[in-house]
Amino acid sequence: MTTPVSSAKKKFRLLDLLESPIEWTIRICGWSSIIAIFAIFFFTFKEAAPMVPQLDWVHFFTSPRWIPNPAGDNPPSFGALALLVGTFTTTFISLAIAVPVGLGAAVYISEFAQGKVKETLKVVIELLAAIPSIVWGFIGLMVLGPIIQWIFSATAGSTWGRIMVTLHLAGAETGAAQGTNLLTGGIILALMSVPVIVSLSEDALRAVPDSFREAALALGANPWETVTRVLFPAARNGLLAACMLGMGRAVGETMAVLLATGHNNRIPTVLTDPVRTMTATIAAEMGETVQGSQHYRVLFILGIVLFVITCSINVASDLIVKGVKKANNAR
Amino acid sequence: MITRQLSRGFGLGGIATLAAGLMLAGCGREGASKKIVEIRVKGSDTMVQLAAAWAEAYHKVKPNVYVSASGGGSGTGFAALQNNTTEICDASREIKPDEAARVKQVTGKEPKEFVVAYDTLAVYANQSNPLKEISIDELHEIWAEGGTITTWEQVNPAMHGKIALFGRQNNSGTYDYFREHICGKDGKQHEYRAGISEMNSSAEVVENVTKTPTGLGYSGMGYKTPNVNWLKISNKKGEPSIEPGLEVARSGTYPISRRLYVFTVGEPTGELKEYIEWILSPAGQRIVEKEGFLTRN
Repeated sequence: MTTPVSSAKKKFRLLDLLESPIEWTIRICGWSSIIAIFAIFFFTFKEAAPMVPQLDWVHFFTSPRWIPNPAGDNPPSFGALALLVGTFTTTFISLAIAVPVGLGAAVYISEFAQGKVKETLKVVIELLAAIPSIVWGFIGLMVLGPIIQWIFSATAGSTWGRIMVTLHLAGAETGAAQGTNLLTGGIILALMSVPVIVSLSEDALRAVPDSFREAALALGANPWETVTRVLFPAARNGLLAACMLGMGRAVGETMAVLLATGHNNRIPTVLTDPVRTMTATIAAEMGETVQGSQHYRVLFILGIVLFVITCSINVASDLIVKGVKKANNAR
Repeated sequence: MITRQLSRGFGLGGIATLAAGLMLAGCGREGASKKIVEIRVKGSDTMVQLAAAWAEAYHKVKPNVYVSASGGGSGTGFAALQNNTTEICDASREIKPDEAARVKQVTGKEPKEFVVAYDTLAVYANQSNPLKEISIDELHEIWAEGGTITTWEQVNPAMHGKIALFGRQNNSGTYDYFREHICGKDGKQHEYRAGISEMNSSAEVVENVTKTPTGLGYSGMGYKTPNVNWLKISNKKGEPSIEPGLEVARSGTYPISRRLYVFTVGEPTGELKEYIEWILSPAGQRIVEKEGFLTRN
């Protein structure tokens, strides 16, 4: 009798010894993300810091004149307005497409699709998420661009031409001058963020207890009412988080927009004008700048601006989610 | 501008030196049997990539020769030549008389010039565009900041719409050269106007002009395809315009073309001579073509 007891005691002690290293390993894993984010903070700010007092900030945010390496002895000009506008407009267009499509797909997959259709759709959407961004860019450049150019080609005075001009879809005589533009970039970004939105929204909808659906059915609600009045409010937080993550994907995307937007430093006036985003600018110019030069540091400042934008998106979504929770609790 | 050139020079030079060092460490035995030769190349920023490509290819031909290429600009290269800190100077312009005199004064030898390639730009337009020729003045008004031409009607009444401009990204030598010669005017340097689509490669410029009826773009002459037109260029409106081509590029009558040179101090000898002969040989000239320049013949 005594032997098994002592062996059990020994085993217990061995585990006890392992306990603390395992605990610490897990703790460090948890902390690693915090360490990483502070390292990124530190590095980005350190590289940008010497330029912060030198930079003409008003010019930076109000001028579209981006000339980092001027001709001859001309002074450089760091006006990032067009780049900011480019980032915001492409993101806005991609969200305008991706949110309805993504939510619709999520509702269909979680509520209506059955059996094989459902499984196939889920697998295909996961595949969509696995396509590398450079491939998306290439599709934008080679496939979508020419289609957009064809759709928005116009002759002056035709009905379609007049509609396009009135709605600011394209220029009067040129139509969509080039296939790589704001709309192409927006659609490509939408296609890239749809998988994110769909899979997260679907999770959120699935997390709504079946009793809600049964109650709605018992009250005589039709499927549309069930989805819009019961499921959406119940899954609100998850759906919002899904859309915010989709937006984050769109803001931060680089390679696809570099290829699909035309990389053209201008403030767009119509939907099919080419644009240039902050991410694409950093990607295109960072490789050839001298470390420590003004241009190099301003590119880091662009990075910080991007950082601030994504942080604000996250904080805003957090606040909204909390607000929603409070309102729910109060009810 | 200067700092940017330096960076490229340092970057490539550094890599070449590092690579040479690694190779030295790796092939010690092989190197012991042959004498190791180092050739230093310095100069034109436009030619840095070409010089690096030559260096890499030549090392495969003659493993005991290490060529380290760096940029900094043609002027830097000439200065290095007279200070004996480089064996070869790459230059995208001729040597100035005072530079040549200084080399002679310091080293006692005349600088020796070799034309190794041509850098010729063409201005491309869509095939549907009725325009066949354009003047340098018009190009200036189209491309430079503050220029007055933004629509095709201003160039040719038969053609309509806003001009869609395609150029290179601002880290490209082609970008610099075109800016200097088209945007620059009366000895003053001007910037490009805003709203030019900046492409990642020369081929992409041509590709976009091919697809865009209202497009106009500049790119190396070697990037012409059957599906795109290039414009004949005149110095002034009304003067005879010149179609881009090998002969006019070599004679210097075509306005946006330049010779690319290699300079040595005096007649090159030994390994240096062999290297330059190799550059001028079909093997070296194939690399010229690969890097997007025109071969010397």
